[in-house]
Amino acid sequence: MKERWDRVLCYALLAIIAAPFLTMYVGFFLRAFGERMYLGILPKEFGFSNFRFLWEPIAWGLEQTTVWAALGNTLAFAITSGLVVTCICMLAGYALSRIEFRGKNFFLVLQLFLHAVPGQVLLIAVFFLLFYVKLLHKVPGVALARASLEIPLGIWMAKGFFDGIPWDVERSAMVDGCTRFQVWYRIFLPLVKPGIAAVFIWGFLFAWHDFIYAYTLLPGRVKLLSTLIQSLVATEVIDYGYLAALSLLYMLPPLLLFVFLQRALLRVPVFGGKGV
Amino acid sequence: MQVTLNQLSKHFGPVKAVDALSLEIAEGEFMALLGPSGCGKTTTLLTVAGFYKPTSGEVRFDGRVVNELPPRKRNIGMVFQSYALYPHMDAFANIEFPLKLQKVPKAQRVQRIRELAELLQISELLDRKPGQLSGGQQQRVALARALAKRPGLLLLDEPLSNLDAKLRISMRAELKSLQKELGITTVFVTHDQVEAMTMADRIAVLNQGKLQQVGGTNELYYSPQNLFVAGFIGTPPMNMFEALLEVREEGAWLKSEFLEVRLPGRISPPQAGPVVVGIRPEDLTVTQGEGVPAEVYVAEPMGRDTLLTLRVGKAVFKAFAPPDFLPEPGTEVNLGFRWEKLHLFDRETGRRLQYGN
Repeated sequence: MKERWDRVLCYALLAIIAAPFLTMYVGFFLRAFGERMYLGILPKEFGFSNFRFLWEPIAWGLEQTTVWAALGNTLAFAITSGLVVTCICMLAGYALSRIEFRGKNFFLVLQLFLHAVPGQVLLIAVFFLLFYVKLLHKVPGVALARASLEIPLGIWMAKGFFDGIPWDVERSAMVDGCTRFQVWYRIFLPLVKPGIAAVFIWGFLFAWHDFIYAYTLLPGRVKLLSTLIQSLVATEVIDYGYLAALSLLYMLPPLLLFVFLQRALLRVPVFGGKGV
Repeated sequence: MQVTLNQLSKHFGPVKAVDALSLEIAEGEFMALLGPSGCGKTTTLLTVAGFYKPTSGEVRFDGRVVNELPPRKRNIGMVFQSYALYPHMDAFANIEFPLKLQKVPKAQRVQRIRELAELLQISELLDRKPGQLSGGQQQRVALARALAKRPGLLLLDEPLSNLDAKLRISMRAELKSLQKELGITTVFVTHDQVEAMTMADRIAVLNQGKLQQVGGTNELYYSPQNLFVAGFIGTPPMNMFEALLEVREEGAWLKSEFLEVRLPGRISPPQAGPVVVGIRPEDLTVTQGEGVPAEVYVAEPMGRDTLLTLRVGKAVFKAFAPPDFLPEPGTEVNLGFRWEKLHLFDRETGRRLQYGN
């Protein structure tokens, strides 16, 4: 009997905590699919008119754009960032997990420190950096800058996955004739597939969600979904249904990624824990 | 391949894991590195394999110094305690991997894998992943992988430790006959003296990074060169007690708190002073007649015989008695020594004193 009450209490507490979020999500869906609103929150009928941006151009200042262009830009931006983070973190994670070198611990602590630095602090420096290397206002350049913010923690994540592979496996491979690089490429990478997925999502997601870098460093013609949504908010009359529908589209890719890769993500080692 | 370790040392900071180890391993020899955990045997093996660079000294393969050679260029095969199969490849791909890296053509690879699979009786398992294999099967696959590129030297790091007791005994015989059949120089690391004694041609006993003695099983057993080897080799271990050696006109006398006896054999060179006396349990007899009075502490029937733990003064002795002799604790018995089988060690240096006729 007591156990049952414990459980009831447990769920009650969870319900209270979840309520505000659930309310927001429900409101969000109602708005996206609601046609005419009653009292501003209750839809009178449902339909897809809020999703008209899928086939109509979107007004943007005096010009027009389409959601597909923004979606394409955002995908390019996030995938580039994800790939950069994955490549660098997988190499660095292996080195930090397996190779002894001077200053290794300092480097690891430095990564944590760097992770603690907020990206906004670096905006001005990044602006000039990109300007001098002629990558400013370009998706690859800004994606590179955005990726660099997620690399520190990504390295720790990757290292955790590599740490989980026994030394004997590495030694076996080396006796069998592998160079260090071949060990990494032929034995370790296939073994840390969940790690690769996790690190890629890490880089992808933060770029996908990014606003401040895109807003500051990608003005002008290159619109991402985040900056597009912002520009709709900044107009005089806000069509909330339209905004909700667009936001739903914005939310979809990360959601799908999570659904497909949740098993990999559940194995993300948390600092020193074991993956694989 | 002939392997020479010349004054090999490997230090980790202040720790001398291997300390000035010199060892010759002949072509085709089965050499065991035996010692308690932390004695440096695995470090030695990993240095021979090329994972550790020696702090000083040399590793020579067929006379050539290989200190700087990476593992992949040493032409060695290795089996690990954990087998370390690649979990994402099936058994076939595991065995094929070293051959692929050597760019052996496909047809030859398949041919070689077939041969090995037959030799190790794993033909039916080739399409399984390591996770679907039992420990014994994994070990066979690991062995096949190690042998695939016909290495000149086979290194085995505690390969039997993860097997159950029964399988271990059968694998012992199998490994030994396989090694002889292939005639491959093999270095085998183990902490299990029975494994080393039964399988190896010679055993190198290590303790605290230092080589204690190298020799065949009987050599180590019947003439251990120092106290460590004497105490380490043999189950149950050798009985030891402290005594004083005196040289009198008529010969050498041994004096301890419970005995005073003239030794039948000679000690060369003649020597007097504090010694440690060792005698193996099987060289003691439990008699009703003459001997050193002792008290039974525990009697453990073992089927073939009874293992007695006896107290003589403060000293404890292990001795064997016939299986039907099962005395109650506290029973008074007499302990007979086979004096010619004594082992004498200098108490200070721990070295063996030559003793015999």
